[in-house]
Amino acid sequence: MNPIQETLDDLRRTAGVKACMLVMADGLVVAEALGARYREDVIAGLSSYLSMTANKALHEGGLGSFETFTLHAAHGKAVFCDIGESFLVVLLDQFADLEAGRSEIQGAVQRLRRSSRLGS
Amino acid sequence: MNLIQRLKIWKELRRLEQRVREEPSPSTFVDLGQVFINLDMLERALQVADDGLLLFPDSAELQKLLTFARRGVDRGRIDELRARLNKSATAKLYSELVQIYLESGDQGALHANCEEWSVRFPNDPGPWLALGQARLGNYYRNISAREGADAVQCLERAIGLDPSATRARVLLAEMLFRIGATNRARSLLDAMPTDQDDSELQNLRRQAVAARSLGSDIDALLRNAEEQGLLPNAPPTAAVAAARSEDGIGSIRDALAAIAEMPGVQKATYIRGTRALVKGDIKDGKDPFLRTVRVVAKAGHRFSRRLDIGSFKRGTLQGPFGVICICCYGEVLAAVQCDASAPTDRILAELQEVVASSLYAMGVSP
Repeated sequence: MNPIQETLDDLRRTAGVKACMLVMADGLVVAEALGARYREDVIAGLSSYLSMTANKALHEGGLGSFETFTLHAAHGKAVFCDIGESFLVVLLDQFADLEAGRSEIQGAVQRLRRSSRLGS
Repeated sequence: MNLIQRLKIWKELRRLEQRVREEPSPSTFVDLGQVFINLDMLERALQVADDGLLLFPDSAELQKLLTFARRGVDRGRIDELRARLNKSATAKLYSELVQIYLESGDQGALHANCEEWSVRFPNDPGPWLALGQARLGNYYRNISAREGADAVQCLERAIGLDPSATRARVLLAEMLFRIGATNRARSLLDAMPTDQDDSELQNLRRQAVAARSLGSDIDALLRNAEEQGLLPNAPPTAAVAAARSEDGIGSIRDALAAIAEMPGVQKATYIRGTRALVKGDIKDGKDPFLRTVRVVAKAGHRFSRRLDIGSFKRGTLQGPFGVICICCYGEVLAAVQCDASAPTDRILAELQEVVASSLYAMGVSP
């Protein structure tokens, strides 16, 4: 198994994490660790839409791009982390403690950045 | 615990009670409550937390103490009711038990006990009413069509088992009125005698007669409300809310100004539809920050809905610009741009308060 997949599988085992995926800005999936109820193409498409829209709005406002975007919805949470040419998407349930999971997500981001650099 | 230890604790208690009287502060109340908890006197701890919150309603420490003490008191009561139910089960005991879970918000336990209750007493409308109340609470909070349909189903089942079940009928009628099914709400209300109406029910009857019906397809109305993120009709008790709306804007302006003065906050805005209030380092309504937060919130809404995780409530973006915090509900949103070192949790809580109070002023339940 490659280190990117290993990192995602480890992150998927964190309490409250329902799915995680490394996806390019255009929606191309690099690797994923999803639960049975999620469809890869749906998450990739929606994540690409949200991150591109948010970054476009930030650029137009002269603010640059986001490094982390945390979203809270009524029945779930999502975290998007910039990894250079791709970004990490983590979906969590609504009860997940983001503070407690932050170190795992940050750890995964560091490992993914390292792996991305080694791969290029 | 020996006598000397006991005496020491009572002495400490007296000292703390005196401190609470002489120098009331959240921490003195919490210290006293903690001693009561250690002595397993949870009712007293609950009383201390209540007293403290009367003086310091925003204290997070006191809220924690209240929650902890209440959980302990509830646990004791639950154990007692469970023991009695195991000896001889009655619908009244189940009703008391389920009420505790309903108030504490423990939906898993509520569901399990309602299931047990309905199996043992299949003709009792109680479990369906309790489940309907829980689902209705969730629905008003999230406006999720799924929760709404579940609430309707539970309440209809309660009415089916006992057609004279007033509470279930009123709750269902109010919900139908709020989603726009006013004809169905009226027919439910018309089947009830008017001699025992309280002011809330009178308001509901009056408004259900006055409001325009948006149709009678409940599923379509629920889906429509979920898409809009708003219920078409305000709660019947909020009849005078419209008159307060000017007041509401004034208090929103003040609250936004207070947020803009928090450490690290650069820009703060409150947006409702096409109108925006701005505070901090923003010159006017043409500032690009306003467009940025509008676009991000809209994209967040679409993402959440398409992913079936309910409506978008809060978002935090971190980057070279610092932090952007967004809080929204339907077409109302409040947002802040601040430094990375700013207390974002507090800012988000304040933004949520601004959004919630503005909805209250508009007569919408958040």
